[in-house]
Amino acid sequence: MTLNRDRTIGGSTSSVVGDAPSEPVLGPVGTRRRESPTAIFFRKPTAIVFLALLAAMVLVALLGPVFGGDPVSTAHPVMQPPSAEYPLGTDHLGRDFLARVLHGGRLSLFVGFAVALLSMTLGVVIGSLAGYYGGAIDVVLVKIVEFFMAIPGLVLVLVAAAILGANIFIIIAILGLTGWPGVARIMRAETARVAQLGYVESARAAGFRGVRILWSDILPNAIAPVIVSTTMSVGTAILAESGLAFLGIGDANRATWGSLLSDAQPYLSTAWWMALFPGLCIFLVVLAVNMIGDAINDSLNPSIGRVK
Amino acid sequence: MKAISAHYAKLLASSLMLLLVVVTILFLLLEMAPGSPLDALIGDAPVSPEFEAQMVARFGLDQPLWQRYLSYLARVATGDLGMSAISGRPVTELIASRAPYSLVLTAWALAISTAICIVLGAVAARTRRRWLDGSISGGSLVFFSVPNFWLGLMLVWLFAVILDWLPGSGSSPHGEFGVRPEYMILPVITTAMSALAFQTRIMRSSTIEALGQDYIDTARSKGLGANRVLYRHALPNAMLPMITIIGLNIGNLLAGSVVIERVFGWPGMGLLMVDAINQRDNMVVLGVTIVMTVMIIVANILTDIVYGIVDPRLRARFTRSARSQA
Repeated sequence: MTLNRDRTIGGSTSSVVGDAPSEPVLGPVGTRRRESPTAIFFRKPTAIVFLALLAAMVLVALLGPVFGGDPVSTAHPVMQPPSAEYPLGTDHLGRDFLARVLHGGRLSLFVGFAVALLSMTLGVVIGSLAGYYGGAIDVVLVKIVEFFMAIPGLVLVLVAAAILGANIFIIIAILGLTGWPGVARIMRAETARVAQLGYVESARAAGFRGVRILWSDILPNAIAPVIVSTTMSVGTAILAESGLAFLGIGDANRATWGSLLSDAQPYLSTAWWMALFPGLCIFLVVLAVNMIGDAINDSLNPSIGRVK
Repeated sequence: MKAISAHYAKLLASSLMLLLVVVTILFLLLEMAPGSPLDALIGDAPVSPEFEAQMVARFGLDQPLWQRYLSYLARVATGDLGMSAISGRPVTELIASRAPYSLVLTAWALAISTAICIVLGAVAARTRRRWLDGSISGGSLVFFSVPNFWLGLMLVWLFAVILDWLPGSGSSPHGEFGVRPEYMILPVITTAMSALAFQTRIMRSSTIEALGQDYIDTARSKGLGANRVLYRHALPNAMLPMITIIGLNIGNLLAGSVVIERVFGWPGMGLLMVDAINQRDNMVVLGVTIVMTVMIIVANILTDIVYGIVDPRLRARFTRSARSQA
């Protein structure tokens, strides 16, 4: 950047670029200044409530195992319903269920965020290259996206995890590999839209290289819808992972919320708490993530919800 | 009419491509499986040396990769999905005995969720921004976030364990075959719920879009009542995207059936697949995946055909281009 400022053309270009995010290109010219998306987001009561809920769940999952006791110790009475001593009861082997849920949450949340991050990274890189350069990579991308539109990723994930073995990192890799085309589709469309705008044109005229334009001019203006879909993909990933774990595909030594539910099924008629709490945790986290994604979407596109 | 047949020929070609890609991915997965390909093929089942030799000869495990790939393709193309290592029966036979159970569940769930989503979506769009819309939209997001297998477990707990109104597992009393209606209620509700949340959101937005069209203004200016405008003019058009969504949902529900059938012990393809996964009976796992893919592809083609029949604008596009060609 300092190098660019020394040159007259580069300097003027980067000042245009620098102003672009704060002054929306699409906004009506000459009307009053639009409120920033962050401000709109934090004015929504649902957004604040669910952000707090998600933050609390993440904190509990991170810190809880430190205080929550040993998840594998069988030194407790078996099949105790929730009580003062065991807030979530104990399971069929006499393990403290609270400790198990806390430890399981750590892994479930880790999978959710890791998969979302992985598919966002892949999707943004491939989608922006395809949208900006077009050509062969674009053709291939469109074909891959069509493929995943037609075939539910879950089937392939299931087969792949079943055949390749079910290490937690294999599962993250498989879920990430089936998750990125959705992000890439959005990123491609956004990149193609932003690449048409005047300030990108002037950056190109100023002689900047494609990758530099993509990174500092296009990405900041095209990333918004990707953030929405990434937020929601945390929820999708947690649901997918818990579904796999429920089917018994996962690391047998490290419980997640899904595998706790799988263990709970045979005891449904005698130990309801074993099925209720892990599922409730999955539900609350996924709900929080979806509600936050919805609120981000509304604050980025305030006109969508408005009555015509 | 030439344009239409060209369109369907293209659709068929791309569907076959899709199937080819899926089969190729499955083949590569088998190759990538830890252990020797022979282990991957027969799984953990204890087998005799003769059976092993038979498998080596049958799958040409002593041949190079591309040759095995071609012969695998050839077998799948002729409808030979191999033998189950556990039961020793042909995979196609196993799937044929289980597929009807999955299809009946999916069909009922789709029919129910579609009927309800049209009502809910239309009501939400009509009462936009008021409490009814708020609760329908919010409710659909809530149900969108529920893990459907947990919903199933909770339904079993409530209706089968606590209230003891409905059976919680299987498709008929123990020792009998076929499907009894009371056994279907809970699995169908669970399956329908996971489709309903998604469909209602789509239906609401497509109704809102339809209500914003010019012909709606025309209908209103003719003096038609709000309900008549909604039911006669907006809904038929708003329902068109539902055809696509139903087509997509068939795939999602078939994939989701794997988990739901495990919850309810429903003896469909999904449960067959789960059992095969747990027994590492990989030929059955691959067979079920291929059959599901074929079903999804057929559903996609049917969606396209139905869309063409229902929406005259699509047909008009084809006839016009045919005329201009002639």
